[in-house]
Amino acid sequence: MKPTMSPQAQAAQTISRNMTLISHNELAGFGGIGEGINMQVTKDGRRILWLAHESAPKNFTAVDVSDVKNPKVICQTDLPHERVRSNSLDVVGDIMVVAYQTKKVGDKPAGMDIFDISTPEKPKLISHFDASGPHSRGAHCVWFVDGEYVHLTSGSGDFEPTHSNDFQFYRIIDVRNPSKPVEVGRWHYPGTHKGDKEAPPPRHPKFDGGYRPHNINVFPERPDRAYVAYLDGGALILDISDKSKPKMITNWRYSPPYNGFCHTVMPLLGRDLLLVTDECTKDDGLDWPKLGWVVNASVETNLVPMSTLPLPPVENFAKRGGRYGAHNIHENLPGPASFRSNSIIVGTFFNGGVRAFDTSNPYQPQEIAYYVPGAPKLSPKGSIQINDVWVDEKGLVYTVDRFAGGLYIIEMNP
Amino acid sequence: MLDALSGRFPVSVVTGFLGSGKTTLINKLLKRPDMNRVAVIVNEFGEQAVDNDLVEVSSEQMMLLNNGCLCCVLRGDLQETLRDLYVKRRNGDIIDFTRVIIETTGLADPAPVMQTLMTDDMLLANYRLDCVVTLADAVNGLEQLETMQEPVKQAALADRIVITKSDLAGDEVTAQLEERLRELNPQAPIRRAVNGEIDLEFLINVGLRNIKGKLEDIERWMGEPDEHGEHHRHDERVKSFCLRYQEPMTWTAFSQTMEVLGALRGSDLLRVKGLINVAEHKGPMVIQGVQHLFHPPVELENWPSADHSTRIVFITRNIPREAVANLFAAVGAVTAAA
Repeated sequence: MKPTMSPQAQAAQTISRNMTLISHNELAGFGGIGEGINMQVTKDGRRILWLAHESAPKNFTAVDVSDVKNPKVICQTDLPHERVRSNSLDVVGDIMVVAYQTKKVGDKPAGMDIFDISTPEKPKLISHFDASGPHSRGAHCVWFVDGEYVHLTSGSGDFEPTHSNDFQFYRIIDVRNPSKPVEVGRWHYPGTHKGDKEAPPPRHPKFDGGYRPHNINVFPERPDRAYVAYLDGGALILDISDKSKPKMITNWRYSPPYNGFCHTVMPLLGRDLLLVTDECTKDDGLDWPKLGWVVNASVETNLVPMSTLPLPPVENFAKRGGRYGAHNIHENLPGPASFRSNSIIVGTFFNGGVRAFDTSNPYQPQEIAYYVPGAPKLSPKGSIQINDVWVDEKGLVYTVDRFAGGLYIIEMNP
Repeated sequence: MLDALSGRFPVSVVTGFLGSGKTTLINKLLKRPDMNRVAVIVNEFGEQAVDNDLVEVSSEQMMLLNNGCLCCVLRGDLQETLRDLYVKRRNGDIIDFTRVIIETTGLADPAPVMQTLMTDDMLLANYRLDCVVTLADAVNGLEQLETMQEPVKQAALADRIVITKSDLAGDEVTAQLEERLRELNPQAPIRRAVNGEIDLEFLINVGLRNIKGKLEDIERWMGEPDEHGEHHRHDERVKSFCLRYQEPMTWTAFSQTMEVLGALRGSDLLRVKGLINVAEHKGPMVIQGVQHLFHPPVELENWPSADHSTRIVFITRNIPREAVANLFAAVGAVTAAA
């Protein structure tokens, strides 16, 4: 017997560097969280973390994290049935938007809800934006930071894709009157809509993840740009100076040779750089490499990758169970309690945990911290599957497990 | 948010005279409940490298201990071993250690061990020297200091000195040894241990852990104040002195002085620690060197107190205070005029 550990024993132990766990909350036994985290600072000064669940039965959970050592679940809501998931949410002031995606086309509810969360214990539905249809599975992601427009990854009743995997596209929804959300513009990848003059784009030969947007970043500092990750279509920058007619400026397509599923394209404002992440979607390292890329965007029409975020070897982590590779990053959202940095990147890597990088030198990003919780009790994969992260203005890291572990609140550089 | 010191793994170097009880001390330390995530590096798995009752699994190179710690044999050189430990830890192959203890051989010069931590970029980014603990055997210590070079250097380089076997040597002899050690290294606090029993607090968290610049942290790292002048009552060779300057100096003046000193007398510049008031910097610059090699300077966020004077503690061999002070004056003047 060697004094090194088996993959199972490795998955069971917590490993960390420069990050310390402050508290952990299993969210009343429903510890599977999707890709929507945002913090509300209430009028009475409480700090409420809103979390979208990865799958039914729960819709979203609100956690009072005013005392980070003692986070308290103050609200947890249910979905109407098992065939829908919420996955994504965003908060501006006392307004929260939540995405709904169905398992099959044609099902409901599919689209987006808008809630009044001025009393976080009792969210009040203001309106539902219906995106259902014979070819739609509703919405996967929301981006809502200015209180005016939701940048939505969604299908719609009038959209028929050329391929069944391409059922969502980019929709801009005006929510200035939250009781009457209305679409003001849309864009889809050329060739993915029936009737397009362009031919349908080629399918990924190994992993057909589809041509759909995942995360869409639009910052108040650059209101004329949408930074869109389009799964197998790669990274895109759209000109949205006219919201009714988004236009593609550039498209960095890197799969194949890579394995597709471009997930996030975040501009590092002021640095002419993009931080692009893939999403690992296969267990046991099957779709490795899934990376975080630092991309030179100084010439918008010619995006050039410069480096990737350094990760520990796949040989070690792939064996631990579940997924290992890049996924969500803290997206520098505007907002009173959000951490904003154009050099420090905090990202999630499934069984690789939550990891922080310094990209001051974009050619050589440095890993500065990580926290990999031991496998949660009842983890179906036998390992932690850190799914999403949100960092507050004090540098506290709120990160979540995809299946069972719930919420981990972590301090960097104690 | 980026702190040049925080997050690096502290490294304790346990050095000491032959037969002074290094292994006993380390074994006692490892049995403490708060020392359950330590990687110990030893030179060889001798009969008593680690108490048998601690060992859970072992191979030729590495042992897992039943309290969660890890013990490994120095492989190749220390640089390679520390790099290997870091990579294995990050990969999750081994325990999530939070501290490294290096046990040197009794005849080892601790300077190269300390220098390894200062010169390798990868090690610099991931480890920091926390404390050099030197064990002195009360029974044989005085004689060893008289007849051998290594014990003198081990004592001179120490941050903390532990006198062992004082129960066997008796009070009078122990007191003589203590006096002798204080002459060699007045900054290092000295404690007595019996059968390895010593307050852990004395030995850990000696080095600076962050750049906040708290007074207690600085004082703990700099050691006991001793500004009464040179110590060479007994030994003409090893001297300790502190230089103070009220006015800020340029970084160029400071670094040129140290470069000249290092080039001319590097091997006799045993240990240097200090806070430098560098012109146009908010906090002090922390410097530390072992012989001709210096750790990259680290700027603290704040001065620990209202006293913003530069203070540098030197432990040297055959270099008098005046020589260093004159050099500072000369190089400082040259730089100012340039």
